[in-house]
Amino acid sequence: MQALAKGPAVRSPVSLSSAFEKYGIYIFLGLLFITASLISPQFLNPQNLKDILNQAAALGMVAIGQTVVILIGGGGLDLSVASVMATVAVIVAHNTRGQDALFFPVALICLVFGLLVGLANGILITKRKVQPFMATIGMMIIIQGLRFLYTGGAPKGGFPPILRFLGTGSIGPVPMSIFSLAILAVIAVIVLHKTTLGRQIYVIGGNIETAYLSGYRIDLVITVVYMISGFTAAIAGLYLAGYIGVSDNWVGKGYELDSIAAVVMGGTSFAGGRGGVMGTIVGVLIIIMLYNLVLLLHLPVQVQYVVKGAIIILATSFYAMFRKST
Amino acid sequence: MVENIVEMQKISKAFPGVLALDKVDFNCIAGEVHAVIGENGAGKSTLMKVLAGVYRPDGGKILVRGKKIVFASPKDAQNYGISIIYQEFNLIPELSVAKNIFLGREPKNKWRLIDTPLLNQHSKALLSDLDADIDIQTKVKDLGVAQQQMVEIAKALSLNADILVMDEPSAVVSGRELDSLFRIIRSLKQSGKTIIYISHRIDEIFQIADRTTVLKDGQLVGTVNTQDIDKPRVVNMMVGRSMTETFPARQQGEKKEILALQNVCRGNLIKNVSFKVYSGEILGLAGLVGSGRSEVARIIFGAGDMDGGRVLLNGEAIKKAAPKSSISCGIGFVTENRSKDGLVHSLSLRKNLTLPILDRIKKWCFIKEAQERLFCTNCVKEHGIISAGIEQEIQYLSGGNQQKVILAKWISINPTLLILDEPTRGIDVGAKAEIYQLMRRLAKEGTAILMISSELPEIIGMSDRILVMRDGHIMGELSPSAATEESILMMATGQNSDLNQAKEKPLAS
Repeated sequence: MQALAKGPAVRSPVSLSSAFEKYGIYIFLGLLFITASLISPQFLNPQNLKDILNQAAALGMVAIGQTVVILIGGGGLDLSVASVMATVAVIVAHNTRGQDALFFPVALICLVFGLLVGLANGILITKRKVQPFMATIGMMIIIQGLRFLYTGGAPKGGFPPILRFLGTGSIGPVPMSIFSLAILAVIAVIVLHKTTLGRQIYVIGGNIETAYLSGYRIDLVITVVYMISGFTAAIAGLYLAGYIGVSDNWVGKGYELDSIAAVVMGGTSFAGGRGGVMGTIVGVLIIIMLYNLVLLLHLPVQVQYVVKGAIIILATSFYAMFRKST
Repeated sequence: MVENIVEMQKISKAFPGVLALDKVDFNCIAGEVHAVIGENGAGKSTLMKVLAGVYRPDGGKILVRGKKIVFASPKDAQNYGISIIYQEFNLIPELSVAKNIFLGREPKNKWRLIDTPLLNQHSKALLSDLDADIDIQTKVKDLGVAQQQMVEIAKALSLNADILVMDEPSAVVSGRELDSLFRIIRSLKQSGKTIIYISHRIDEIFQIADRTTVLKDGQLVGTVNTQDIDKPRVVNMMVGRSMTETFPARQQGEKKEILALQNVCRGNLIKNVSFKVYSGEILGLAGLVGSGRSEVARIIFGAGDMDGGRVLLNGEAIKKAAPKSSISCGIGFVTENRSKDGLVHSLSLRKNLTLPILDRIKKWCFIKEAQERLFCTNCVKEHGIISAGIEQEIQYLSGGNQQKVILAKWISINPTLLILDEPTRGIDVGAKAEIYQLMRRLAKEGTAILMISSELPEIIGMSDRILVMRDGHIMGELSPSAATEESILMMATGQNSDLNQAKEKPLAS
């Protein structure tokens, strides 16, 4: 009796709300799905669902890289991703001349290009101490300019069939693009949660001072993180080009902000050190579903922006409720 | 009839994993100095944050001047005349003293703009009431810790608070600054203020408190008149057992030179510092806050720049020092401020424990998680770390347990040199004793320990040799058998004349 009264009661009164914080986004996705299928009869049409997944793939890939960048904290974000995507699309169109034979070497060049942009971002941020916002926005504009010089304003060429297959084809019932996104997501989860690199990303995002005093090579890790983002943006550019199928100077326009929105909606904190890839994927699905719904209901396309903006604000205020201290 | 100005009845408050307060009764008579003491994690700060409206209690009620009230926010509590001065100050470093005192409540002139002359006049008056000689135009970042504390007190008084809660004010000041603080508390009491003084240092309550409330593990042990009790009785109440000797006997290990500093300089913070640290000894580094002790520690660890001089480890000069190479050379560094740079709050106990040994528990680039878990489980057992499990987020552990985690993580690198900056700051008596035992054991096994501390009994009780720093210089070496608190203080303050005179001088000079 006495011992019972004296023992420290180990209860966690906030566990319910922290579970809600963690899984609220999944519940929201479920509700959105149900609502969409109720108000639009075409929503559950297999072709429509396939379209949603196809569109989600490219944004999902960019958002994976964006997640890692935001996790590192210190105002980390990458605004150059959309510019990388468009440039990659243009490089492929120009250099493959629509032939499969040239696809792999050109694709390799594209990936290296993404890595190099990330490397440049990383060096600017770690060595020159440029704010990530300014470094990546500067990089975005530079690449944009170079792309226009390169294409002379009018992109030529076409995409090889193999890229069209990657963007639109299926293996059995599974769209190729969603298959690739799944592989990329699994790799990202493994890197973030099972490797020393991932641990260092969370530590640096959580407390950079502690990371420094624990002997971590902070500059290296931050640079690698931006290279990951450049890399995933390059892959996403290839997929989106394959999906759209026409050469264009503006492939992936708006993806920098959409990917940031998806990451934040998915529960990754702008302060860094908290969150992960799975939430981001859910955030991506929510954004794409909303776009889809606006189309299905024959609403003016501008409604997309209103809805998207509202959802971003809603999601952020939802997390703010649970994260008073940070 | 004595009137209770504050009465808290059966207050309970739970946090994830712990019941921080369990039906605690607390009352305070108008015009008294009331000490609240207890080990770390006893619930002192939580109780006061409930009183100040920061936390909403899960149960119980609060009466102020006999009226039942519910505080929705600290602002509410301020309106009832309750003001709290936190251990960590809430000042804006880039703003002047005067602007900080009236932050958000600046006096306005007839055009609704800030009335700067009036602001300055009020600030000056408040500070001179406190006998603090601080220029109100100075930016707060240029003030010492003790002066910042004065600004905090002035700020609290400017709210017309008549109940003043001070959360561990003695954690940041020492020596004559503390005496000066006590003088201010006494004069505030004379002017009719009620002071609630939180501390875990037993000696202080006899100097300052009329009554004392003792808390332990979130429960009330009792409230007593301070004059009716003595130190052993308080210790007994605090820890539930009587403690006679806190410092374990000296046991030195094998002695050979590990570290040598030769004429190390850094701007005007550190000037020509030279000393040696030997294996198997505890070298105590004493001095006032701001004397350059922590900067020396950071330089040795490779986390601070130096302008000149050399650092030799095992007889070899370190060329390009960085934390990474220091760790692989076997240097561990427990920093002064564990919440700022000792922990990653958002991560679990497990991930915090393996911060510096990530390279040792990996295969290629993968973390061997099974090994990590096993290591952490053993560590928790060995060091008696109390938690809800190794996956609990570190921020929910008590200060003492967080400090044990930090020590354990550095011990896991098998350090040849361990730098401990204020290793027992803000830690309860029980955890302190455990940390002292651990330090002795490490020294006996041959680890060189460099301990920085503001607690003079700790310096004298634990060190094998004592160095005293002042204004970036090493003032001299003392042996613990010859050193007294007075002799260390004299070296640290540079007062070679009458010590009492030095103590009576106001701190802000």
